[in-house]
Amino acid sequence: MADGPRLSHTTALILHSIAAGHVYGYTIMEATGLPSGTVYPALRRLEKDELIRSNWERQSIADAAQRPARKYYKLTRAGEEALDASRKRYPMLARLNPPEEVPDR
Amino acid sequence: MTRALLILRAASLLAPSARRGEWLREWRSELWYIDPRDATTFCLGAFRDAVFVRRHYTRTAARMQSPAACLGFLAAAAALAALLTLAISAPLTLRTAYWRLRPRDLPAACLIMLLFSAILLPATRLAMGSGDGRATARATLFLAMKILLVQPILFSALLLMVLLGPIIPFAPQLGLLAIWILTCRWVLADQRRRCPVCLRLLDDPVRIGAPSETFLEWYGAEAMCARGHGLLHSTETSAVYPARPRWLRLDRSWSGLFRPL
Repeated sequence: MADGPRLSHTTALILHSIAAGHVYGYTIMEATGLPSGTVYPALRRLEKDELIRSNWERQSIADAAQRPARKYYKLTRAGEEALDASRKRYPMLARLNPPEEVPDR
Repeated sequence: MTRALLILRAASLLAPSARRGEWLREWRSELWYIDPRDATTFCLGAFRDAVFVRRHYTRTAARMQSPAACLGFLAAAAALAALLTLAISAPLTLRTAYWRLRPRDLPAACLIMLLFSAILLPATRLAMGSGDGRATARATLFLAMKILLVQPILFSALLLMVLLGPIIPFAPQLGLLAIWILTCRWVLADQRRRCPVCLRLLDDPVRIGAPSETFLEWYGAEAMCARGHGLLHSTETSAVYPARPRWLRLDRSWSGLFRPL
């Protein structure tokens, strides 16, 4: 990894949201209350730093649910370690664990 | 939803072409969940994301990241500008001897431009020392070098504007003023975006707060040094926070959150 992780409070919050099961952009926005212009660049940064990885949902699953395919994000091992470190730095993060609510549209 | 898609399409032009397809696909996919009333606000965030992707996935960004790379890039641009100046000064000599420019005149011409840029001197306080005298001196020297290196570029722009003078009225005056302002603005903005300790570009900018929720809070942006030297808080209004950007130095206890580059 060329660049180290940049864990501002906002970035740590996004990492925490992914760990809590909010695994695509819209639910992360809903869980954190952050605007799209903050969440998506942060996701790119985290992925570039190899703290998360992304994969597209299979089209057949999306077709069955009659919605576009989602791009899912998942913590890597380095991401889990970074999240543990950031929880020590930001103790309030541990109290934030909003339940995942996937909109049914 | 058509307007939202148009915004996404416009924003996608800012993303690097190699990543544009997947970038647009993700934004369109996410747009499906957004309430149509919020779609425009949601899609406006795509511009920031596209700029971020361009900035972090193109080689130009990497060239400007470190202070040495920035000065090297500017030096190369200044050399090109000097060559351009010498090349375009030839047709100017046909019109008036005043514009006859020989290679040995170039330093003097740049010195005049430098004096013109002396108005930037008060801006050296933007070097934002970290409390360490050496770091402040380095930041000031870096700013001075940048101001020096943009002079050949400004001078070549002046000559280009003079060439355009007979074709477009007021082009030299207005054009030079615009180029000078934009260049100075870049010099100062670049300085403000750098860590005062290591002078690398600050990274991971995030917006904090909202203009409509300012009671006992502030709103603005936060950027951080990738090496963990500190955080820069920039407010969008002086009513809620110090008007000048505020540098928060991180001590060694934060080092566990950063990895050495």
